[in-house]
Amino acid sequence: MDNITICRCEEVTLEDIKNTAKKYNCTAREIKLRTRAGMGYCGGRTCRPIVDTVMEHVTGEKPGDNIPLKVQPPVRPVSLSTLEGKENEK
Amino acid sequence: MYDVIIVGAGPAGLSAAIQCRKWDMNVLVIDEFPKAGGRLLGQLHQEPNGEWWNGIEETKQLTETASKLNTEIRLGISVHHVEKIDDGFLVHTNHGDFASVRLLIATGAAESAAPVPGWTLPGVMSIGAAQVMTNVHRVRVGEKGIVIGINVLSAAIAREMQLAGVDLHSMVLPAMNPVTKDHAHPKKVMDKLSRIAHLAPSAFLRFGGKVAKANIARKLATQFYPRNGMKMWGMPIHLRKAVTQINGTDHVESVTMFDVTADGKLKKGTEKRVEVDFVCIAGGLYPLTELAAVAGCPFHYSEELGGHIPVHNEEMKTPIDGLFVAGNITGIESAKVARAQGKVAGLSIAREKLKGIADLEYKVLQAMNDVRKTRNEASIQFHPGIEEGRTKMEDVFRESKKTETAL
Ligand SMILES: Cc1cc2nc3c(=O)[nH]c(=O)nc-3n(C[C@H](O)[C@H](O)[C@H](O)COP(=O)(O)OP(=O)(O)OC[C@H]3O[C@@H](n4cnc5c(N)ncnc54)[C@H](O)[C@@H]3O)c2cc1C
Repeated sequence: MDNITICRCEEVTLEDIKNTAKKYNCTAREIKLRTRAGMGYCGGRTCRPIVDTVMEHVTGEKPGDNIPLKVQPPVRPVSLSTLEGKENEK
Repeated sequence: MYDVIIVGAGPAGLSAAIQCRKWDMNVLVIDEFPKAGGRLLGQLHQEPNGEWWNGIEETKQLTETASKLNTEIRLGISVHHVEKIDDGFLVHTNHGDFASVRLLIATGAAESAAPVPGWTLPGVMSIGAAQVMTNVHRVRVGEKGIVIGINVLSAAIAREMQLAGVDLHSMVLPAMNPVTKDHAHPKKVMDKLSRIAHLAPSAFLRFGGKVAKANIARKLATQFYPRNGMKMWGMPIHLRKAVTQINGTDHVESVTMFDVTADGKLKKGTEKRVEVDFVCIAGGLYPLTELAAVAGCPFHYSEELGGHIPVHNEEMKTPIDGLFVAGNITGIESAKVARAQGKVAGLSIAREKLKGIADLEYKVLQAMNDVRKTRNEASIQFHPGIEEGRTKMEDVFRESKKTETAL
């Protein structure tokens, strides 16, 4: 069961997350940065709830009012030229 | 500079746009899907009173009204960031930036996965994807499938697929793992279904409702759940069977299924293989709040409303000046509620711009009443305790305003 994929974009398994948590004894945020779970192409839209659940399971951190693992723009995949075009407009 | 930009052309966004246009505001509606209507487009179910709810027809009414009012709707454009600027908002899209004084985020809900090993194989999809393929694109999702995850949404969509002539083996639970948790627990699934069962038109849910009145009955019902499942419109629903694995090399070929105890533990020796060529996974819905988050809106966690929700009040205002939210981003509810909330948001936005118009004050109150009424009469409810969640949110908003003035 541990070989189940959690983050599809970055191909992170439950095992990867558990091992990282054990090895570094770290926070959910650090696990995310180390494994890249939820940081792939879809911006976490597919896996965010399950990444949160797994993190709660392995670290024991309970959900508070703040969104765990902060949302960062861009929230959709955009090409660099789009971002660049914008800079020119400003 | 627009008076208001509305992100999301679902029932909430469209009905808000209609109100804003009625008060002659300068409005832009943006949606990334090529068609307006949002999740409404896929919906087709029979209400307890026998009437059909047809999302395509409902969408048509909204879009026709919007176009009579010359509403600017731009489709196929994704918003990837919103920034608070001095006199309003800057909305960043893949087709350039747009500025507005006010912003309404009506981005709806997304699906949570209930992952089972093998869920990355082609042929596995979320139940919502199956709904869109079946009812929006009219594509047959496969020859024979199975639904993993039993909840109001998956039951409704399974019925839609059945009406479209798609062959479903059954509905079953996912096997218990750290992620599937409550979705894999027969008693908890039964509990959740039964609390909303009085609303449901389907035979299966009504069965749940009858036995579910007393806690003990619910327990017995889970314990003595018929081995061959309960049938809903001829399709078995198995609260005591779970899928442990989806199998296939390049594509789904079968699933591995076990009988489970009332607590969701696998029973040894009951392993069975069921041949299917597609699998729908249903893990529930959560509010799609990413844009409210990057705009800097404060959040409140509410299990009753479906997760992390941007703080807002009944007038659909957030603590951020000029930022409004409506629809499923404020909590998972039916399309009728989303539409009614959109109306409130639209009127509330118009009131803010036009200031001091008595008629608008009255209309906002009336629209808020209408939301409550629609909620009470809803034939589909996703979470029990929605009322409590809403009341709590009202308090949280008031608190946030207090701290703001204190600062
Ligand atoms: C898969 C699924 C099935 C459902 N089935 C039912 C059902 O059968 N019956 C029922 O009553 N309710 C159902 N619901 C609940 C549904 O959310 C509500 O019925 C209703 O559609 C919510 O309306 P809304 O306007 O809030 O959001 P939606 O109808 O979801 O509309 C939101 C719109 O915002 C757009 N959007 C989101 N993010 C962006 C962005 N960054 N940029 C541009 N556009 C964006 C989306 O493309 C979408 O069109 C379902 C929900 C889902 C997710």
